[in-house]
Amino acid sequence: MAVQKPYVDWSLIIIIIYLLAFGLIILYSASYYEASMSKDDQAFYLKKQLMWDAIGVACMVGVSFFPYRFFKKTALPLFLISLAMIPLCMAFPATNGAHRWIYIGNYQVQPAEIVKITTILLMASMICRIGTAVNDRKIALKVLALPFIASVMLYTITNNLSSAIIVFLIAVGMFFVARPDYWRFILLAVLLLVLIAAGVWLIMNNTSIHDKLSFRADRITTWLNPEKSSSSSGFQTLQALYAIGSGGWFGKGLGKSMQKLGYIPEVQNDMIFSIVCEELGICGAIAIILMFILLCWRLMYIADNAQDAFGSFIVTGVFCHISIQVVLNIAVVTNTIPNTGVTLPFISYGGSSVIFTLAEIGIALNVARRIIRTDRMQRR
Amino acid sequence: MQNRFRFHSFRHFSRKMRHRLAMLFTLLLILFCTLIVRIVKINANNGDAYKRQVLLQQAYDSQPIPFKRGTITDTKGTVLATSTLVYNVVVDSKEILSDDKYLEPTLNAISQVFGTDISTLRTYIQDHPTSRYYVIDKKVDPSLKTKFDALVADQGKDSSGRQNDNIQGVWFEEAYIRSYPNDSLASNVIGFTGSDNTGTYGLEQYYNDTLNGTPGRSYGYIGDNSDIEKTTIPATDGDSLVLTLDSNVQSIVEKYLQKYNDEYKDQVRDGNGARNIGCIIMDCKTGGILAMADYPSYNLNDPYNTDPLVGMTKLDFTNNDSPMTDAYLTQEDVDALTDEEKGKYLNALWKNFCISDFYEPGSVIKPFTVAAGLESGSFSPTSTYVCTGSYTVDGQTIKCHNTFGDGTLTVSEAIERSCNVSLMQMALQEGVQVFSKFQNVFNFGLKTNIDLANEARTDSMIYKAGDMKAVDLATNSFGQNFDVTMIQVAAGFCSLVNGGNYYQPHVVSRITGPSGATVQNIDPEVIKKTVSPDTSAWIRSFCEQVVEGEHGTGRTARPAGYRIGGKTGTAETLPRRNGQYVVSFLGFAPADDPQIVCYVVVDRPNTSPQDNAKLATVVFRNILTEVLPYLGIPMTESLSDEEKQELQQLQDSGTIALGADAIAKMDEASSDGSSAGTSSGTGGSSAAGESSAAGESSADGGSSAAGESAAAGDSSADGGSGTGTGDSAAAADEAWKSFPVDPSTGYLIDPATNLYVDPDTGHEYDVGPATALTPAAGDGTVQDGGDGTPAAVPGTDTGTAEGAGTGTGTDTGTDTGTGTAGTGTGDGTAAAQ
Repeated sequence: MAVQKPYVDWSLIIIIIYLLAFGLIILYSASYYEASMSKDDQAFYLKKQLMWDAIGVACMVGVSFFPYRFFKKTALPLFLISLAMIPLCMAFPATNGAHRWIYIGNYQVQPAEIVKITTILLMASMICRIGTAVNDRKIALKVLALPFIASVMLYTITNNLSSAIIVFLIAVGMFFVARPDYWRFILLAVLLLVLIAAGVWLIMNNTSIHDKLSFRADRITTWLNPEKSSSSSGFQTLQALYAIGSGGWFGKGLGKSMQKLGYIPEVQNDMIFSIVCEELGICGAIAIILMFILLCWRLMYIADNAQDAFGSFIVTGVFCHISIQVVLNIAVVTNTIPNTGVTLPFISYGGSSVIFTLAEIGIALNVARRIIRTDRMQRR
Repeated sequence: MQNRFRFHSFRHFSRKMRHRLAMLFTLLLILFCTLIVRIVKINANNGDAYKRQVLLQQAYDSQPIPFKRGTITDTKGTVLATSTLVYNVVVDSKEILSDDKYLEPTLNAISQVFGTDISTLRTYIQDHPTSRYYVIDKKVDPSLKTKFDALVADQGKDSSGRQNDNIQGVWFEEAYIRSYPNDSLASNVIGFTGSDNTGTYGLEQYYNDTLNGTPGRSYGYIGDNSDIEKTTIPATDGDSLVLTLDSNVQSIVEKYLQKYNDEYKDQVRDGNGARNIGCIIMDCKTGGILAMADYPSYNLNDPYNTDPLVGMTKLDFTNNDSPMTDAYLTQEDVDALTDEEKGKYLNALWKNFCISDFYEPGSVIKPFTVAAGLESGSFSPTSTYVCTGSYTVDGQTIKCHNTFGDGTLTVSEAIERSCNVSLMQMALQEGVQVFSKFQNVFNFGLKTNIDLANEARTDSMIYKAGDMKAVDLATNSFGQNFDVTMIQVAAGFCSLVNGGNYYQPHVVSRITGPSGATVQNIDPEVIKKTVSPDTSAWIRSFCEQVVEGEHGTGRTARPAGYRIGGKTGTAETLPRRNGQYVVSFLGFAPADDPQIVCYVVVDRPNTSPQDNAKLATVVFRNILTEVLPYLGIPMTESLSDEEKQELQQLQDSGTIALGADAIAKMDEASSDGSSAGTSSGTGGSSAAGESSAAGESSADGGSSAAGESAAAGDSSADGGSGTGTGDSAAAADEAWKSFPVDPSTGYLIDPATNLYVDPDTGHEYDVGPATALTPAAGDGTVQDGGDGTPAAVPGTDTGTAEGAGTGTGTDTGTDTGTGTAGTGTGDGTAAAQ
């Protein structure tokens, strides 16, 4: 296999380039008003994102040449290091009331993003190592214990519920692929949904519980009735809904969003998908979703064809990470689930997110390089 | 990490794993489909509402720009009402707090310019950090804005010369305030306007839409490049009004209404000099209102001030808020008013008596009755009537004001003496049909449609031909039992004396646009012909006799230097015999070619007895004495010494209407008089710097102004006694002349009834010496028939000359006050001739 010419998954690369380019365009469109108001430079966000995208692409290319097998041994230490970074956030000043960042000079890094990638590596490494032992309940629970600890830390220390959920769901997703008894997962998922529905019903109908859970319960109230709290907690959600609803099938045209003119707070971050809907309409939204579906399809292909199980599980983890994050982000923007801060991969503004996601893609590309050409491949 | 598991590790991604991954992918597809459905549903269910909402939010940037309400100027260009630009100061807490360095410099600048308390404002800003609109000061002068702008520009350069914009978050909102430079002048005509640009009463209400413009708007919209583009639609300012009203004439009128009030207030009761006092001066050849005033007026810049309420007639809240008899508001009463009651009193204050109130006019209607008769041919101008003191119609005896009887009278004498009996006979000759037809011709019972808000409807206040009985006709003939408004009487009288042209009464002569260009001219408009020029000429001559005639009831109305005509009115109010009267004088000047009509009404004067037309004639005379020269109407009659002195005093007092110009004209008129052969050519006694001609006449007159007062007194006394004796001689059959004189009032006392009798007309008042100051007690005395028909009677004529301040010549002496020299001087002149 060593003499084989490495396989380069150009489809994946083109999809990524497409998403990044599209992300920059829509980011500029969404942010220039806010930037010209508060930063005196309407390309402020565009320039920074461009820089991060460049760093991210550099990372991706670099990592794609870095043998992923190296991570098989180092996954646990890397995971522990990333875990150790979480408490470090407490040493730095809070942003919006939460300690989520580590500052290195002028740059800031969100450990949660690192934890996501190390969790993927750790889970892949452990699942491969224990092999068929994943069927053993005790061992399985032990394997799940580490990402669970990471989730709990993210939630308690950085007050970052969404990252906690994503980390845990990545682990569960990878576990799901590894374990043969998937119907148990389906049963668990249904049970969980019923429990959540019951919990929501209880919170909404019992004022004493509602009062105790003030902050989280408010989010649920807002989720169910955004109009009722349109001036406070529901403002962002409602404004995003206005944007989505006013777009129609084909949108108002690129750059013609009205809601970005100061109405949707942090429009360039978590809510950028609403601007996609407003400017490009339902068709634009479907196009973006299709790109993510293609991306996941390519990842699934790499996982299916990877040279070894470790590579497959890493790519499965990347698949889980990206699909979870996209689904959660769009669900939040459309008020399908309560508001929680999830970025849209490759499109939302933010350095840590894009750099580490692109690094994951780099690993996936590295896994792809090792694909043994089958007949199907040779036909290409 | 060593391999310590017993189970074999995964080497390859198994088939089952691929399947499970494919399941995840399928789940992902399902979730994405769900989300797409959700997006489509948001669009389908709420799309339209959300689109509207998005656009609605954009209107956030939209701001109205106020328009400037039109000004109101009088005929000479004097500004009576105007709107001036002011600013509301608005603070944006969010902006100020956006940087720590902004707060203190901004607070300091605000307090420095607007005097706002720093700590209060700081507290507000810190307590409301997201507030973007907080008005800290309203209606500030534009100069303060300039000062603040300068401060902002100054602080830009600190010691190092560096730009430093630390004053932030303060902005100015344009607004207009309505102001009335002459405060209370013509308040009842103009009305007032609050900050909402809605006029209340008067012109401000009637012409509200004309005066208001269209507000503009500045708003941001999303341009093609998604930029917010600011667009401004400028406001359109309102149109302005130019009035026929002359603020000088108006101020003369208001001055004498005030003077009347000062004299008569607190006389019988503590309160105003009358329930209402009104005066209208009209240009009888155009229908334009030159002045229209009532008392009390109020400050248009402070209409809610309750000070003018003190002294007003109390309202009976248990009886439709109708005014109460002889009950006036005291300061304590005003302080105790509830808000609702205060509102009712303020409305009573703001309303215009001249157009909004109706009352029984009394004898001023007699010229109308006569005109109807002449016009219809019911009787000739030379017909005669016999007055025996009362007349019986349908079994009801209605008394004349002179219960002793006036004897045989011509039509002219009937008007001159205001004989009720003669007028009743005339009206009966006319009959119900003719009389009621002419009521309509003279516009009684109809709105005049003068361009002022709240003109009263009086259609239910007059008799229709079908309902009118002989008794009604008889009482209507002398102006009782039907109600009119002042403007109806004045407008009708204009047509009666100007040859029969009924002009539309109006206050506005021209409407001009914001640029000053004329938008609309309101030309004099003849609505109808009321009487023929011949009838009009007869009426003028009859009315002239009222003032000039020997027995005229309006002799005290004659202003110095002019020949005028008019008619007195004394109307009894309901309930009858309550001692409450409406006295009035309706006159025109000059007598030969009427230019103006002036109507003075004193509603229920605060004195006793009330039925004395002199209360109105004196006001009338005072007003015309100043107004006629001001209007440039030349004097035709020679001036007596007292009159000259009176005019001199007026000039010395700096009265607005009597500039040097007017005095010169008066002197001219006097000189004319002397050259025509009258012996009293002493016109030159007025001003020091006169011409040589004046010097000669001064020599004739023989004295300076100062030295003349004694002489004037003498002559006045002579004239006065001359009149008195003359009258007595001529009318030996006038039984009341032998009655004893009441030394305290000057009235005669009828020994049979112990009531006052007017020395000149023989009118017996319904009060006597014992009851004079308590009119309510007068109810017990009986004068009229039991049917409640009135004994409406005009006032008196005393030969008193007190005007020059000498206090002499009180042969029949009565009333107080000024300006009663009219009769005395007139006779003095005659005697000299």
